[in-house]
Amino acid sequence: MKTPLTPGQIGPKYWRSLDELAGTAEFQQWVAREFPSGASELLDPVSRRKFVKLMSASFLLAGLGATGCRRPVEKIHPFARMPEDYVHGQAQYFATAMPARRGAIPLVVKSSDGRPTKIEGNSDHPDSNGSADAAAQAAVLSLYDPDRATRYARNGEICTRAAALDGLTALAATLGSGEGAAFLLEQSSSPSRARMQQAVGARFPKARWHVYEPVDLDMPRTAATMAYGKPVAPYYNLDKAQTILALDCDFIGSEQNATVNIARFAQGRGLASKEDAMSRLYAVESLYTLTGMNADHRLRVAPGMIVPVVARLALNIMGDKADGKLAALSRPAEAHDEWILPCVKDLKATGGKSLVMGGYRLPLPAHLLVLAMNEALGAKDQTIEFHAVPEAVEEDISALAKDLHAGKVQTLVILGGNPAYNAPADLGWASAQAKAKTVVRLGYHEDETSWNPSLQGVTQWDLPAAHFLESWGDARTANGTLSPIQPLIEPMFDGLTELEVLAILAGAEKTKPYDITRETFRAIGGPSENDWRKYLHDGYLAGSASEPASAQYKAELLPPILALVKEPASAPGPEKLEVVFHRDSKMDDGRHNNNGWLQELPDPVTKLTWDNAILVSPKTAREMGLAPREQKQDQTQRFYDQVVEIQLGPRTVRGAIWVQPGMADYTVGLALGYGRERTGRIGRNAGYNAGKIRTSEGMNYASGATLKKTGETFQLSTTQSHWNMEGRAPVREGNLEDFRKQPDFAGKMTLERPPVVAPLYPNPLDRMKTKALHQWGMAIDLNKCVGCSACMVACQSENNIPIVGKEMVGKSREMHWIRIDRYYAGIGPEPEAEPQAALQPMLCQHCEAAPCENVCPVNATSHDDEGLNVMTYNRCVGTRYCSNNCPYKVRRFNFFDYNRRPLDNLYQSPLDPRDRSGGKWELLRWWENPDRGNRPEDEWQMARLVHNPDVSVRMRGVMEKCTFCLQRIEQAKIAQKVKARASNHIRLSEKEGTIPKTACQQACPAQAIAFGDVSDPESTVSKWKAQPRNYTALDFLNTKPRLTYLAKIRNPNPEMPDYKRHQEPYSYDQFKETIGRAAIEEAEPAGKGAR
Amino acid sequence: MAEADPRPIGTSLPGFQAAPLVVHAPPVELEREPLVAHGRGIGWLSDTIAGVAEGKPAAWWKICFGISFTMMLVCFGCVLYLMSTGVGVWGLNHPIMWGYAIVNFVWWIGIGHAGTLISAILFLLRQKWRTSINRAAEAMTIFAVMCAGVFPLIHIGRIWLGWWLFPIPNSNGIWPQFRSPLMWDVFAVSTYFTVSVLFWYMGLIPDLAVMRDRARTRIRKIGYGLFALGWTGSNRHWSNYEKAYLILAGLSTPLVLSVHSIVSLDFSVSQLPGWHTTIFPPYFVAGAVYSGFGMVLTLLVPLRRMLKLEDIITVRHVELMCKVTLLTGSIVGYAYAMEFFIAWYSGNPYEKYLFIHNRAADPYIIGPLMGIKAAPYWWAYWTMIICNVVVPQLFWFKKVRTCMIVVFVLSILVNIGMWFERFVIVVTSLSREFIPSNWGYYSPSPVDILQFLGTFGLFFTFFLLFLRYVPLIAIAEVKGVTPQADPHHPLGGAKTGGHH
Repeated sequence: MKTPLTPGQIGPKYWRSLDELAGTAEFQQWVAREFPSGASELLDPVSRRKFVKLMSASFLLAGLGATGCRRPVEKIHPFARMPEDYVHGQAQYFATAMPARRGAIPLVVKSSDGRPTKIEGNSDHPDSNGSADAAAQAAVLSLYDPDRATRYARNGEICTRAAALDGLTALAATLGSGEGAAFLLEQSSSPSRARMQQAVGARFPKARWHVYEPVDLDMPRTAATMAYGKPVAPYYNLDKAQTILALDCDFIGSEQNATVNIARFAQGRGLASKEDAMSRLYAVESLYTLTGMNADHRLRVAPGMIVPVVARLALNIMGDKADGKLAALSRPAEAHDEWILPCVKDLKATGGKSLVMGGYRLPLPAHLLVLAMNEALGAKDQTIEFHAVPEAVEEDISALAKDLHAGKVQTLVILGGNPAYNAPADLGWASAQAKAKTVVRLGYHEDETSWNPSLQGVTQWDLPAAHFLESWGDARTANGTLSPIQPLIEPMFDGLTELEVLAILAGAEKTKPYDITRETFRAIGGPSENDWRKYLHDGYLAGSASEPASAQYKAELLPPILALVKEPASAPGPEKLEVVFHRDSKMDDGRHNNNGWLQELPDPVTKLTWDNAILVSPKTAREMGLAPREQKQDQTQRFYDQVVEIQLGPRTVRGAIWVQPGMADYTVGLALGYGRERTGRIGRNAGYNAGKIRTSEGMNYASGATLKKTGETFQLSTTQSHWNMEGRAPVREGNLEDFRKQPDFAGKMTLERPPVVAPLYPNPLDRMKTKALHQWGMAIDLNKCVGCSACMVACQSENNIPIVGKEMVGKSREMHWIRIDRYYAGIGPEPEAEPQAALQPMLCQHCEAAPCENVCPVNATSHDDEGLNVMTYNRCVGTRYCSNNCPYKVRRFNFFDYNRRPLDNLYQSPLDPRDRSGGKWELLRWWENPDRGNRPEDEWQMARLVHNPDVSVRMRGVMEKCTFCLQRIEQAKIAQKVKARASNHIRLSEKEGTIPKTACQQACPAQAIAFGDVSDPESTVSKWKAQPRNYTALDFLNTKPRLTYLAKIRNPNPEMPDYKRHQEPYSYDQFKETIGRAAIEEAEPAGKGAR
Repeated sequence: MAEADPRPIGTSLPGFQAAPLVVHAPPVELEREPLVAHGRGIGWLSDTIAGVAEGKPAAWWKICFGISFTMMLVCFGCVLYLMSTGVGVWGLNHPIMWGYAIVNFVWWIGIGHAGTLISAILFLLRQKWRTSINRAAEAMTIFAVMCAGVFPLIHIGRIWLGWWLFPIPNSNGIWPQFRSPLMWDVFAVSTYFTVSVLFWYMGLIPDLAVMRDRARTRIRKIGYGLFALGWTGSNRHWSNYEKAYLILAGLSTPLVLSVHSIVSLDFSVSQLPGWHTTIFPPYFVAGAVYSGFGMVLTLLVPLRRMLKLEDIITVRHVELMCKVTLLTGSIVGYAYAMEFFIAWYSGNPYEKYLFIHNRAADPYIIGPLMGIKAAPYWWAYWTMIICNVVVPQLFWFKKVRTCMIVVFVLSILVNIGMWFERFVIVVTSLSREFIPSNWGYYSPSPVDILQFLGTFGLFFTFFLLFLRYVPLIAIAEVKGVTPQADPHHPLGGAKTGGHH
């Protein structure tokens, strides 16, 4: 081949690369510029300005803690110059927030070498106690979701980001006044978004705005806005409430702002001594929810009966002020007077210290009644406050669908959400969307709403959305506190935020989300640069919480609205079932569908993983001839549950049945968020889509459904198969009056302990104890724990715990180091109908005389001198003897290489020549790159980013368990040693705030976990352990755990019917029968009810 | 043999006058059946026993070997699959972390008990009938221990680190943990295996010499010659041999008791209801001997027929083995009853729950009577009880003991029962222990089952090879218990008999 010559060139030529040899124009340019990107910009006067601008912006940021958010664009591995305040191997923490419908969860995110690895609540934030719910903590896994949307596409064809943005700009130019343009958004509390909406609205005044949330938690706000005549939202001070009545309101689980609710509720449940007051919780509900499980009294009614019960309660509370219509409405609930009247009496007795809460599923009239009751009780401004909120002006999705069908919408912009999956079934969304000419869709996943080939004649732009950990933004928490959303990492796939898209459409000058957010802050928090920095650093703007609004209740509104309420339909029966569509505790409305941590997190009530099920009560199941699950339960861990078909109107859905104790009879509970047709590797094949039979008329409740057996079976995977404590009292519970009478009853609920004789082999720990600086211990208050499972995700995230997949969970091989045991106890002829539930977090107890240690043949598990039972993963050969000898069964074994193998392919041997991931025989590929395992490259590259670098990733064949977050303890010790310098002050102390928090403790909204130094009598954990409620699980084994529990106390009302039937917690009877003696002194004969 | 002095003892003393000593023959009803029937001569014994290992293999041997070898390959295949993929290919779960592997381990080790018991303890007790069966039983022991040894090795997660269980000085400076019963297992089993092999080989030397002397091809001559260690049958050889044999028997005797006692400590040292039991060591030893004799019967009853060894392994031998089985089976039955009694007598509700709710409560009689749900493992428990408590009681009847087909079938039931005993102990105890939330259920995976069947392949491959190449009955010892070997016996001495 002849080399092209430049003119005048003679003699031998030495070429530097093949490009030069080819003499391409790009190469010529590259040589000219010498430094490929950026540097030659300096030659250009205009770009120099830009450079100076950029520099000043980065100097500005350099002064903040936020430096780490914005790394240089170039990906350099070693730092040529170490960024200020960066210490290699030391994580940095940044405040941000996770947007959540009309609120936000304030967060602090750990960044390890530039990767966000752990999400925690922001304890400095005025509307947080430092906890975060399971979904917020699991969001970090979604960031590294290998199936997230990564490409810009036009009608499914990949285009560049620039082309897409140009397309967007061009589109905006054609919109004119906005006639025929419609926006579909999700709920938001962001002032920046409101501002951008205004900007877009200013450019396109005729554009229509719609907001859709498949699970709309806004009803209390709508009702309050109506009742008080101005936009306000209720805010519950549960800590101040003595008597709480939750009306189909799962404020612990599925309602708005649950973490704060739990925190405040738990404060009212704490009992430091027997003199302390404790709140009492009444719940009325159809499903069995976490709130119902934590309630002292629970009324189980079908959904159709809830409004009459609310009316009856209102009637009795408001007395003569009540409207005549109310009496008529409440008549069907007369049957429940036995329950309602003492409840009302109790509420009235505590007056302003009472609180009535209505759940988002209740219809508007019921909510107005709830507000009226709170008014009548005097709860307003005491236990319930109303905060001014921005008015919701957008229309709903039904209007949009109508417009689309009518051909009135040419341009549809969908920012977030997934209407094709979760819009009401009667809207026919898929065909509606196809009626628009142009669709712009910003989505985090390529899902049902993304372009699909069957859409004819539509131009659809699919834009990848940035994760909130990659975006600038802002949000307000429930009490109105402004909180920043700041990125911890560059958008990994160049995704956009909705602010950016709106700004482009508005034709704004500044479209960078940072600029938009900064601008918004200037308007709210003032121009000061210092304030902005403080805002970013703290994660909130001090004093931005909205004041409780002084709103006047409009009582006159109630009668006309009540007049509109239809008489409830006839009672449900086997041929006429009522349906409750509920927000899933993990998937929400389906948005977390591809998140493995959440999929594998057991539902706090059913303990199901990876699927939703059709929940029915035991009685309903029996009457409909559905095999009681218990028959299978004894025989195998795998449940082959019957598949049934639910028909509602013309629509049907199929799903596996799950017999749920405590459910209302003739009611089916359908969890949303599953059964996705187009989703990632994790969410595929998980559950059924309840949305198929959900219409805009019955988004929450529906009646008249029928259930048909199909003869098929389906395997559901659950993490707990035995629900009965069998009298062994792992959870020891008593009533408040028993506790007052005999505070140390819990210690007596056990077998006789063997007398301690001189030990044959003295415990070496006893000798070490005197020398060690600390002695670690933990206590868990079962009275505060509500079972929300946030700790499980916290632990999973902190300790690199793999997910194992549905099949493995079905084989009880899940890896969670902390689990929440859930037990039911019931009495009477139908014990499963109205059970009492007891919850217990179970993790390694760090026994001083640990049974696991002396049986390990290779010394892989041993004790350190600070009382921790430690595990040496590298030493473990996997005899599994330790697990067998652990009476608490808290050790978890890596049966497969979960980290390095695709979960649907665990059983395939790498020796199998058919195994050719990446086109090569697995063994060969492994030989060349032993790291990756046989996961697909994209999955592996993403999955490993989420790992905590301070904790090792375990391979197969290794036993693992809770370490009390040893890595955190060690970090705290090192930090203290650095601080101590020459002094000998290296002991961590709670007084100085140097004791680390374990991940579960940190995440616990209820603050039910105390961890610390038990050798320090002043530490919280020591004080908890000194309480009379303190007990040790399985204490008769003399394993001397460092983890103890504080007994659960129930606070029943002696006038309630269930108390009259039975005076002790139900599980107590079984304990007495099993152990053969009483633990609580009996003044009068114990309950008469047969067990 | 030297010609005996024709004069009666003492008659050579001068002046001694006495009536000649008359030894009366015992009455017929007291006479024991001879250990070798039909007065077979010494030459016949050599020919018959050595003949098994000579000549062309029989058709049944070839078929059996083919099947066994294939199954052995399956076993190795399973091991390879397990090693490359993970312990998850088995049916184990949380909380049942030990399943088939440990059940099979304990079962095979138990089977390995009969050989050494027969060769050592019965030798010390001068039970001459052992001679016809000890060689095969010892071989069975060795192969059974090999099968057993497969499981603890492969059942650990990171198999390549198995050597950490041995106290080998290494650069990590970490020793195994001597408080762990698994550690004791390592020593107990390896010692047992070593001594068993030595003992077996010791006893083989004279017979290997016989094989060498009878060999017709050079290869066989060299092969057997190497292993015969230059045995010539001189008096000095015999004298040393007898001493060494006695010493090894003495060494082996405590091992018979220790191995299974220590294996049982794997369980009783832990604190699980159902495992934490002081009765385990003797109960395990009795069970082991019981299953070992079961297996010897299973092997020898058809073999004596197929190899036409009915005159050497006589009905009397089979009967005697049945009696040992009856004795040990009854001890096992007693142990079961004792376990139950203690579970009730201790007043520990956890123990009580395990025995009743998890094992004994069947869905037909006990469960409904007590008003409780069927125990998840009732079928395993009652299989065990029937096979280990009821079946051996049939051996009270001479008719049963002497009917070979019945003995064969019952011996298989004995082995099934003992397998289930280990299953019941290992699995049912783990499946429902202290805290109800983590109760579970165990079902084996196909790999578990193939692995177990595969060890039969391993066992029978070795056993069939043993039949082909080694005299399966101790020729020298059997000759020693024939009437011909007894100079005082009417048939004894050089009066009649063969050419040896």
